Amino acid sequence: MSLPTIEELAGQLEAVSGAQKVDPDQPLQHIADVDSLDLMEWLYGFQNQYPHIPADESLFADIDDTTTLRVVYDRIVQLVPAQA
Amino acid sequence: MNGFDITGWGMAVPERVVSSKDLAQRFGVDENWIVSRCGILERRAVGPGQTTASLAVEAGRRALDKAGLTGGDIAHLIVATATPEQPSPATSAFVHHELGIAGSAHDVNSECAGFVYGLVQAMALIKIDPRPILLIGSDTHTLTANPADRDLSILVGDGAGAIVLAPAAEDRVLAWNLGADGSCTGSLKVLAGGSRMPTTEDTVREGLHYAQINGNEIYLNAVRYTVRTVRETLTNAKVDAADVSHVIPHQANIRIINSILSHTGLRPEALVANLHKYGNTASASIPIALTEALDEGRINDGDLVLLAGFGAGMTWGSILLRWDGGTA
Repeated sequence: MSLPTIEELAGQLEAVSGAQKVDPDQPLQHIADVDSLDLMEWLYGFQNQYPHIPADESLFADIDDTTTLRVVYDRIVQLVPAQA
Repeated sequence: MNGFDITGWGMAVPERVVSSKDLAQRFGVDENWIVSRCGILERRAVGPGQTTASLAVEAGRRALDKAGLTGGDIAHLIVATATPEQPSPATSAFVHHELGIAGSAHDVNSECAGFVYGLVQAMALIKIDPRPILLIGSDTHTLTANPADRDLSILVGDGAGAIVLAPAAEDRVLAWNLGADGSCTGSLKVLAGGSRMPTTEDTVREGLHYAQINGNEIYLNAVRYTVRTVRETLTNAKVDAADVSHVIPHQANIRIINSILSHTGLRPEALVANLHKYGNTASASIPIALTEALDEGRINDGDLVLLAGFGAGMTWGSILLRWDGGTA
């Protein structure tokens, strides 16, 4: 399965958190209704949906009030295994 | 005799209530933040003279009374705890003495999965020695939480729950599953006080005798492993998740519980939850919830009852029982 788009990731995070809107360029800590447990719930779903991508909780290990979903997405892109 | 009936049950919680409002004031946060974070409105905390063993004795005595037995009738006592009375001897020794248990005594430390681990041990023990067993889960994690640690303090509560298993002809257990992942020892830990880091003035000064939690890791692993154990148990029992009558999970955090329900297909209506009033009582949470459900008459003959726990380490386990008149 290919890598999801950042818009798809934002939609998944909206679904698990109940947030009205997740802007990929807004710091995650500033998004109402999204907290760290929502991120873990989203990550659990992501791990099940994309088992070939070795994403784990270290994606959020150094999250601060500037970290956006786009930053996280870029980290995920780096994790995607190279095509054989 | 190949199985067991649960013929007695009981619980004990301290009188002292610590509300989320109290903790919100202590930590300078909104009460709603605490409740939305974990679903806990209040928890109980031990007072002077109350200990892991004293709560266990109280719950154990109630379970014995319910079963119409005395300590002298009990062949084996198992106490599940991660907050022992003292490093040595085992907490079960203190409980054994207070309840006048006739037979053996040992502790199980599988953290918050301890009661499920203890129940599987009891199930095996009663097959080779068909005599009554008293199984108690008791913990006092308010004593291991650093009073300055917001993330842990909002979760933990103290309490004990107990059941009596009596030998029976029929096996009520449809399936069970236990597991562990020892690579996760850093997620929730107490560093000092053991052989790896004996207690010193320095460890006490640095607060290393207190529990430390990585809430994100715990959340992720709790969901992952509890979903796994529930699925394996249901698969082995050939039971559909929607057919489970009552789900009694470890009462850690309502958001973990809701996630587990969502990912396993267990019905929200089947959930037995009381963490809003007791918090996370660790090894005691499942037997306390079971006791309340039984006392409320919520569990009836033929019902399928699923117990599922997870704990630091990580450890996890689940058991599916078919309740029976003989059981209740």
